[in-house]
Amino acid sequence: MNKTTQEPLLEARDIIKVYPDGTEALTDVTFKVYPGEVHGLLGENGAGKSTLTKIISGLLPLTSGQLLWKGKPADFKNPLDALNQGIGMVHQHFALVNPFTALENISLGQEGSNGLSSVDFDRIETRLKQIMVEGGLHAPLDIPIEKLPVGVQQRIEILKLLLRDVDLLILDEPTAVLTPQEADEMFVTLRKLKEAGKTIIFITHKLREVLEMTDQVTVLRRGHQAGTVWTKEVDSKDLANLMVGKEVLPSVKRGGAKIGKPVFKVNKLQVKSELGDIAVKELDFEIHEGEIFGIAGVEGNGQTELGEAIGGLRKWESGQVLLNDQILRQMNPRAIYEQGLAHIPEDRRRVGMVLDFSVRDNSILGLQSSEKFRGFMGRVNWGKVKRHAQELIEKFEVKTQSIKTPAKSLSGGNQQKLVVGRELSKDPLFILAAQPTRGLDIGATQYIRDLLVQLRDQGKAILLISAELDEIFQLADRVGVMYEGEFTGIYPTHELDRERIGLLMGGLQEAVEKS
Amino acid sequence: MNNSIKAVLISIGTLLFIIGWWGFIQGNLGWETEDYRFDRVVSLLGIVAGGLLIGSVIRQGSLIRIIELKGILRPFFDVFAAVIVGLIVGAAVMDLFKFDPWLAYSSLFKGAFGDKYGWADTAFNATPLVLTGLTFAIGVRAGLFNIGAQGQMMLGAIAAVGIGSIAMPPGIHHMVTIMVAMMVGALWSLPAAFLKAKRGVHEVISTIMLNFVALWLVRFLALKVFGDPNRAEKTVSVLESTQFSTIIPGADVTHVVWISILAALLVYVVLWHMPLGYAVRSTGLNLDATRYGGMNPNRAMNSAFVLGGMAAGLAGATQIIGRPPVFALYGDLSQIATLGFDGIAVALLGRNHPIGAIFGALFFGALNAGLPLMQIRAQVPLEMVRVIQGVIVIVVSMPELWRLLNIKSHALKLKAAFEKPQKA
Repeated sequence: MNKTTQEPLLEARDIIKVYPDGTEALTDVTFKVYPGEVHGLLGENGAGKSTLTKIISGLLPLTSGQLLWKGKPADFKNPLDALNQGIGMVHQHFALVNPFTALENISLGQEGSNGLSSVDFDRIETRLKQIMVEGGLHAPLDIPIEKLPVGVQQRIEILKLLLRDVDLLILDEPTAVLTPQEADEMFVTLRKLKEAGKTIIFITHKLREVLEMTDQVTVLRRGHQAGTVWTKEVDSKDLANLMVGKEVLPSVKRGGAKIGKPVFKVNKLQVKSELGDIAVKELDFEIHEGEIFGIAGVEGNGQTELGEAIGGLRKWESGQVLLNDQILRQMNPRAIYEQGLAHIPEDRRRVGMVLDFSVRDNSILGLQSSEKFRGFMGRVNWGKVKRHAQELIEKFEVKTQSIKTPAKSLSGGNQQKLVVGRELSKDPLFILAAQPTRGLDIGATQYIRDLLVQLRDQGKAILLISAELDEIFQLADRVGVMYEGEFTGIYPTHELDRERIGLLMGGLQEAVEKS
Repeated sequence: MNNSIKAVLISIGTLLFIIGWWGFIQGNLGWETEDYRFDRVVSLLGIVAGGLLIGSVIRQGSLIRIIELKGILRPFFDVFAAVIVGLIVGAAVMDLFKFDPWLAYSSLFKGAFGDKYGWADTAFNATPLVLTGLTFAIGVRAGLFNIGAQGQMMLGAIAAVGIGSIAMPPGIHHMVTIMVAMMVGALWSLPAAFLKAKRGVHEVISTIMLNFVALWLVRFLALKVFGDPNRAEKTVSVLESTQFSTIIPGADVTHVVWISILAALLVYVVLWHMPLGYAVRSTGLNLDATRYGGMNPNRAMNSAFVLGGMAAGLAGATQIIGRPPVFALYGDLSQIATLGFDGIAVALLGRNHPIGAIFGALFFGALNAGLPLMQIRAQVPLEMVRVIQGVIVIVVSMPELWRLLNIKSHALKLKAAFEKPQKA
C-alpha cells in the first residue's frame, strides 16, 4: 500500500469526547485509515478504544473535532445512518436472535418499511451465497444461531454487514471470545476481506495480533493518542511502550515489610468461565505473610474468574487452594471466611453489598450468623451490630447520614470503605482485594491503597487483582501478569518496568526473556 | 417539547378540567338515562384527563416528586393515597349506576366500625387474612411470587377438621390441631419449594397446580370422609375441646384472633431479628450478595415457602376452630373460598410487612364486615359491592404491584437508554 498517493477512506481530526458526567474519554485523536488497510486500535482497558469506535459507527456523537468519511465531513445520526453510508461494526456481544437461523438473522431489517410485506428470503439467500463464495466466508444459513459455535456466529455478523455492502468493518476485540483455532480462521477471513477490498478497523490488546495482522496501528492511552504508526516500522517493544507509557512511576511507600511464611497457595487451579471455556489454566502461585502479590493484566484474561473461585463464588474444575495449610472448600464462602479470608469483591454494588439494606445491615453481611452478634434465643443482637456499624463508620471514615441510611445512597468511595471495613473486621489472615479502587475518587483511592500497605506491614498476606498498573506498581511486592488464563511471568516488582509489563500483558513473554 | 405546544396542551387541559368540573357540579348534561349517569362519568373523566394533562406538561414527574416523602411516613402515605383513590373510583362506579356513594360508604363504615359487633365482625373477617397475607409477604421478601396460600390454607382447614374430631384434653387439643394444620400447610408448600430449587420451576406455575389439586382433594375429604351424617352440607363439627370461645357473646370473633396477631409478630421477629430472616430478605434483594455473604439462597427460599405454608395452614385452621357456631367446614368450601388469594391483596396493601399485613387484613375485613349494611341501606346489590371491592383492591395494589413487576425500573432503564446518546 502506498501511503502518499491514496486518499484516506476515513480521517479523524482532533477528536475530543467528553461524557455528560465530565469524563474526558478522548483527547485530540487524529489518524487516517486508507482503503484496503487493516487498522489496529491498541490500548488497555479504559484507553478509549470503544468510545472511538462508537463515534465512528454513529453510536455516540463527538464533542469536538472532525470525522471525514470518503473525504467529506461525516455526521452520523445513528448506527443505521453510518451503516447506510458504508460503516458497519461487529460488537463483542453479538446482536443475533438465538432461535432464528442465520438467514433470518441476516434478513432482519430487510423487511421493507411497512412491516407487512413479505421478506424476500430467496433473493437474500442467493446474494449471500454469492458473497460467501467471493469472500471465502462460509456459514450454514438454515441452522438456529444458538446451535452454532461462537466463531460461526461471528462470521454471520460479518455476513450481515457484507450484505449491506459496507466499505469499513469495525471489529471489537474479535478474538476475545474465540478459541485459538477459531481465531486463526478469523484471521484467514480478515485477509480475504482485505483482498476483496474491504477496510477493517480492529480493536485488540494483543500485541501479537497487531504485529501479524495490521498495516497501521493507533495506540491509545487513557484517552490520549499515544501514537499512530506503520506496523512494519515498529516492533513489539515499541508497541508495549506506547501502550503503557513511559511516565515515572509514583513513589512506593514501603514500611518495614517482613516477608514471613507462605500463607496462601494455589496449585494447578483450573476455572471455567460462564461460556464454558477455561478461563484460568492450571495456575500456580503462593503468597507470604507481609506480602502483597499483585495480579496485573488486561481485563478478561481470567482475573475475575480467579478472584471469584478463591472467594467461593465460582466452582473450580481441578487444582487446590490452600489457606494456612488447610484446603479451601469450594463454593462455600462461609467456610472460607472462617478459614481466614476477607474478600473485597470486584463488583461492590452487585456482590459486596445489598444496596437496599441499610449501612447497619450491610455491616454484618457475611457475619450475620457469627457468635459476635448473637443475641437472646438465636436472635441478631442489633445493639451490638449498631455499635459495630458505628465503629466501622468512624474507623474507616465512611460518610453517611446515619447507620440506617440505605447503602445505595452512599457514594462509591464510601460504599467501598464500608465493604473494606467490614471485611477487615473479620480479622483475616489473608485478604483478597479485587479491583479495590475501581471507580473511586483520588481521596478514597489513596485511602484504600494506604490501608492495604498498612495491613501488609502488619503481616497480612494480600492478593491484589488490579487492572490499574499504577496500583500494581505502587502496592505489590511481586507481580504475576495474566494473559489468557496463565501467567506470562511472575516478577518482583522492582524487576519490572512498563515496557516489560506491557509485553507480558500483550502475551509476548518471549520478548521479555530475550531482553 | 417547546413552549408553544406546552401552552396549547395546558389550555386544553384547563378547558377539560373546567368543563368537567362544571358538568360534575351541574350533575346533568342531559345524557341521563333511567339506569346510568353517563354525564357524571364523562365529567369525572374530563376532570381526570385535564388534571393529568396539566400535571404531565408542567413537569414530567413533578407529581411523583410531591409524593416522594422521605422516611417512615412514605409507605403509610402511599397506602393511604391508594385507598382514597380506590374509594373515589368505587364512588364513581356507584354513581354511574345511580347509587348514592356517600350513603353506601357511610353504611359500610357503620357496619364495620359502628359498634362493638361491627368491630367484632371486622376482626373475625381479618383473622385468616392476616395469615394468608403473611404467606405472600414472606414470599415476596425472599423474592418469590408465592400464590400457594389458597391450597395450603384449604388443606390446613380440612386437617383441623380431622384432628379436631379426635378426643383430647382441652388446651392440648387446641395446640395439636393448630400444629398439625400448620404442618400440613408447610408440607403442601414443599413440592413448590423443591421444584424451584432443583428444577427451577417457577413458583407461580407450581403453586397454581398445587392449589387446584388441593381444592378437589379438600372437597372430596369434606364430603366423603369427614361429612356430617346428619347434615349433608357440612363436615362434622370439631370437638368442644378444640373450639375457641367467642370474645363477645353473639359475635363471631373468637380468641383465635390473638393467635393470628401473634403469628404476624413472630414472622416480624424471624424476618428482622433472626439470621434466617436476614438471609431471606437478602435473597429477595440480591442473590449475588447473598451467596457472597455465605448464605444459601435456595435454603432461604425454602424457609420462606415453609414459613408461608405454616401461616396458610393456620389460616385454614382458624376458619374451623374459630368459626362459631358450626365449627365445621361447609362442603362447598364457601367460608374459605378466596381467603388465600385475598391474602395477596392484603400483603400488597401491607407493603409485604408482617405488621402491615395486620392493617391490610383489617381493611379488607372491614370491607367484608360492612357489606350487609351497605347492601341493606344503600340498596347496592351484592354484585356491585364486589365490583367496588375489586376496584379498590386493584387501585390499592397498584403501586406495590408496579414495584413488584419492576415496571418502573424497566421504564427508567429504557429512558436512560434513549437519553444517553442524545445528551452526550
